[in-house]
Amino acid sequence: MVFSSLYFLYLFLAVVFLAYYTRKSLKQKNIVLIVASLIFYAWGEPVWVILLLFSAYLNWFMALKIAQHKETPKAQLFAGIAIGVDILLLVIFKYTGFLVENINGLLHIGIPVPHIVMPIGISFFTFQAISYIMDCYWETVPPQKHFYKFLLYLSLFPQLVAGPIVRYSVIEQEIDNRKATVSDISEGAVRAIIGLSKKVIIANSLYDIVKEYFGDFLNGQPYNDISSMSFLGTWFVVICYSLYVYFDFSGYSDIAIGLGRMFGFHFNENFNYPFICKTISEFWQRWHISLSSFFRDYLFYVPIMGKQRKYLNLFLVWFCTGLWHGASWNFIFWGLYFGIFIFIETKLGKKRMKKWNKVLTHIYSKLIIVIGFGIFCFSDMKQLGNFFINITGLGMAINGSAFWDIATWNTLLNNLFLIIFAIAVSMPILQKIKYFFNEWGNNVVYMVGKLGGTAICCYLLIMSSILLVDSTNNPFLYFRF
Amino acid sequence: MENKPTQNQGKLYRFNRVKRKHIEKLAGALSVLILLVVFGLISLFLIVFPRSTESQIEKRKLATFPKFSFSSYFSGEFTKNVAEFYDDTVPFRDSFKTAGYNFKSIFGLHTADEVKIVGAKEINKNNPKPVETSKPSAESKPSETSKETSKQESAVSQTPQESKAETSQMGEADYTVENGIIVVNHNGHYRALELLGGGTGDTYVEALNNFHRDLGDSVQIYSMIAPLASEYYLPNNYSGFSINQKECFDSIASRLDDGIVSIDIDTVLAQHTAEDIYFRTDHHWTPLGAYYAAQKFAQVANLDFKELSTYQKNDIEGFVGTMYAFTEDPHINNDPETFTYYVPSNMDKCTTEHYDTAFTNMSEWDFFVDVGDPQHNAYLTFMGGDEQVVRVKTNVKNGRKLAIVKDSYGNAIPGYLFGSYEEIYVIDMRYFDLNLVNFVKEQKITDLLFTMVAYSALGENAGKLDVLRTQ
Repeated sequence: MVFSSLYFLYLFLAVVFLAYYTRKSLKQKNIVLIVASLIFYAWGEPVWVILLLFSAYLNWFMALKIAQHKETPKAQLFAGIAIGVDILLLVIFKYTGFLVENINGLLHIGIPVPHIVMPIGISFFTFQAISYIMDCYWETVPPQKHFYKFLLYLSLFPQLVAGPIVRYSVIEQEIDNRKATVSDISEGAVRAIIGLSKKVIIANSLYDIVKEYFGDFLNGQPYNDISSMSFLGTWFVVICYSLYVYFDFSGYSDIAIGLGRMFGFHFNENFNYPFICKTISEFWQRWHISLSSFFRDYLFYVPIMGKQRKYLNLFLVWFCTGLWHGASWNFIFWGLYFGIFIFIETKLGKKRMKKWNKVLTHIYSKLIIVIGFGIFCFSDMKQLGNFFINITGLGMAINGSAFWDIATWNTLLNNLFLIIFAIAVSMPILQKIKYFFNEWGNNVVYMVGKLGGTAICCYLLIMSSILLVDSTNNPFLYFRF
Repeated sequence: MENKPTQNQGKLYRFNRVKRKHIEKLAGALSVLILLVVFGLISLFLIVFPRSTESQIEKRKLATFPKFSFSSYFSGEFTKNVAEFYDDTVPFRDSFKTAGYNFKSIFGLHTADEVKIVGAKEINKNNPKPVETSKPSAESKPSETSKETSKQESAVSQTPQESKAETSQMGEADYTVENGIIVVNHNGHYRALELLGGGTGDTYVEALNNFHRDLGDSVQIYSMIAPLASEYYLPNNYSGFSINQKECFDSIASRLDDGIVSIDIDTVLAQHTAEDIYFRTDHHWTPLGAYYAAQKFAQVANLDFKELSTYQKNDIEGFVGTMYAFTEDPHINNDPETFTYYVPSNMDKCTTEHYDTAFTNMSEWDFFVDVGDPQHNAYLTFMGGDEQVVRVKTNVKNGRKLAIVKDSYGNAIPGYLFGSYEEIYVIDMRYFDLNLVNFVKEQKITDLLFTMVAYSALGENAGKLDVLRTQ
C-alpha cells in the first residue's frame, strides 16, 4: 500500500483514523495502530509479514537478554547475535543476487543467480532494530518489556516502509504516554497534505520529464539510450531528476511525520532543505538525516577500523551508505563519490571553506550533488558512461551530439512554472511565510494565515486526489531501498 | 493591548500571548474541522457513488474486482488488484482525468505557436539506427499487432502508456518506425501529429513483388501508401523529428516490380493542405483526404469517378479522435472538429456483405453505419471496424473487381469506388485467415490495391502481407 493512492488515503486511513479516535484507552489505541500496521504491511507483503514479526520478536527478546546480562560478555554476545541476524536477513533478501552475480563475474563461474524479491521496507525496519539493540547495549534506552509495544515501534505504518529511520528513544515515552492535541492533528494533517502534494503534484510531474528522456526505469523499463542527448539537455534532465528524488522522498517523509503526529507521535525531521547547503558535508546533514545520523552514530563513531584509521572508517561509512540504497554498483559509486568529497572537505577544514566565496561554494556543491544524482539514477553502466560523456560535453566530440536541442527546450518551456516552483519550494520559503503569519503578525494576521493555509491545503488535497485518479502506479522511490 | 508589541523572553511580539493561545486553539479546531469535513466528503464520495467501468478517454475497460484465491492472496496479486480496482474505477473517472490534465496545463508557458512533444525524439542523422533488418516471423500472433491495431479498437485492454512501453522494450533489430507525437497550436487550433522515425520498406516491397510473381499479369496490383499528417503540418524547426516520407515512398516505388503500379498520393495531398485532409484530433486522414487519394487512384487505374458534389454529405459534430488518448493533452479534447463523410449516390443500389475473417458467416448490413458514441468513434462509420471481410456489390457492370488490402486508413477509400467496380472486397491485412493469392484467383479479382498508412508500410504491419500470401 502506498501513501499516494486513493485506496490508502480514503479507505485505509479513514477507517484507521475512525477506529483510533473512537477508542478511549491508550492501550486500545496502540492495538488499533498495531493491527493497522500489520494489515498495511501484509497488504504489500502477505508472506513476509512473518519476517517483520520474527525480526520484531528476535530484537525485542535479545534486548531483554542484553539488559539481563548488562556489562558482561553475554550482553555483547546477545547484541552480536541480534545484529548478526538482522544484517544476515538484509544480506539474504537484498544482496544475494548481487553477490552471486559478482562472484560469477569475478571467478568466471556460473552459480545460478537467485531472484529473491526483497520484502518492502526491510532496509528501514532492520536499521531501526539495529539502532534499538545498540541503544540497549549502550544503555542509552531501557529495553521495552512488552512485546506489543516494541512491535508498535518497529511496525508503525507511517514510517514502516520508507522511513524515516525512527530511533526508539524518540517515541519511547509516547508509546505509553501521548495525547494528540487539536494542534497535533491540525499540524499533522497539514504536513501530510503538503507531503502528498510534493509527491503527486511536483515529484510525479518531474518524473514524467525524466522518463521521457532517461526511460521509465522506476517501473521496470530499460533505460533509454541517452548517447545522443545534448549537453545542456542532459544537465536539464538530471537537474529535474535531482529535484524529483528530493520531492519524492521528502514528500514521503512529510506524510510519515504528519501521519505520526496525527496519532500523537513526534518523529524527527528527515530533511532540512538540503539544496541550500554550501558544502557536501552540510548536504548530508540536511539530506535523509535519519540515515546519515544512523551511520554516524552506529558505524562512524564505532572504531571498527581502529581509532587511528578514521579515514578508512569514513570510506566504510560511505560505502555502506551507497550499498544501503541498493544492490547495484552505481549506488556504491554514489556513496564513495560523496565520501571522496567529504574526505577532501575534512582535509581542507571547515574554517578554510567558510572563507570561500558563497556563490562559488553554492555552485560547487550543486554541481557535485547533481552529478551525484546522475550516478544514483543509472544502474545500467553503459548509460552511466553515456551520462558522463554527455554531462562533461565529451558527447559533442564523440557522438556528435548537440550542445542544446529543441526537444529539451520545448520540455523546459512546457514545464517552466513547475520547475521554478519546485526550485522555490526546495528553499525555505514556506518556512518564512509560516513565520510571518505565526510569529510576526498580530492575531488577525495569524487567523488569516491559519484559515488561508487550511483552504490552500484543502485545494492541494483535492488536486492531489484528482491527479491520483490518473496515476495508477506511482510508487515512492525509496520503496526500492 | 492586543495589537501592541509585547516583550516576552527578550523577543518582540505584536500580540498578547495569553489571548493568542485561545486564538491558536480556536484556529486549530476550525482547521481540523474543515480538513476533516473535506477528507470525509471525498471518502464518502468514493464509497457511495457508482464506480466507473470504462474509460472513453483511455479507450479501455477499467479494472474489475479480483477473485479471491489463496494462491493469489499469498502471491500478493489479490491485494494489489483490490487496490488497483479501487483506484482505477473512481466515479466519474474521465471527468477527473480531464480536470487533472487541465490543472497540469498551468505548469508550462503557453505561446501562440505552442508545441508539445509526446514521447518524440529528434532523429539522430549522424548515428542512424538499424531499420527493419529482420523479417517479421510468420508465427506472429494476431494479439501482437502494432500500435496501429490497438488504436482501432474502441475498447482495448492496453493503456497508451503500456503500448509505448512495449515499443521501448523492442530490440534494435525490430526497430519501430514510431517516433512519438507532437501537438502543435496552429492558427488557433491544436493538431496532434504522429512522427515517423524511419524505415526502408524492404518487407513491404518484397511482399508486393512476391504477390506480383504469384499472381502474374492477370491481376493488376497497385500500391498506394498514405503519408502521415506530419508530412504536411510539422513546423519547420521540428522537421528533424520525422523523416521525409515522400523520399521514402519514392524509394519504395522504385524497388517495386515494373508490373506494379505505384500511386503517388503524397504529391496530390500536398496540393490540398489548406483543406481538412487530416483530422487534428485523430490519427487518420479525413474522408476528404481519402477522396483525393481515391480520385488519383481512379485516374491512374482508368476508372469512372464521381465528383464530390454528387455525394451526400454527412456531418458528425464535436468529434475528438484517438489523439486525446495518446497525448492526454486537454487542448485536443477542448478543440473538437467535425467528422464529415460522403455517401455515394448509388448507395441504395449496392449491397454490403459482412463476413468473418475466414470469409464465412455472411450478414448483410450497411457500409456506412451509425456508431455508438460518434463523438469518439466516428471513424468506425466505415463498415463498423476492421476485423472482418466486406464485399460490396454495386450496380456497375464493367467486369472489374477490386480487392483492397488495407489498414484502417483504407476504410475511407471504398465508398468512392462504388461507381467504378462491379464488386469491391475490403480485406484488413491484420485480420484475414485465408491465402490471399488463392482468394484473389477464386473471386476472379482483376485489381488488387494495397493501401495503408506509412506506419504500416514501413513498420511491423508490412510483415503481415507476406503471411497473407503464404498462410
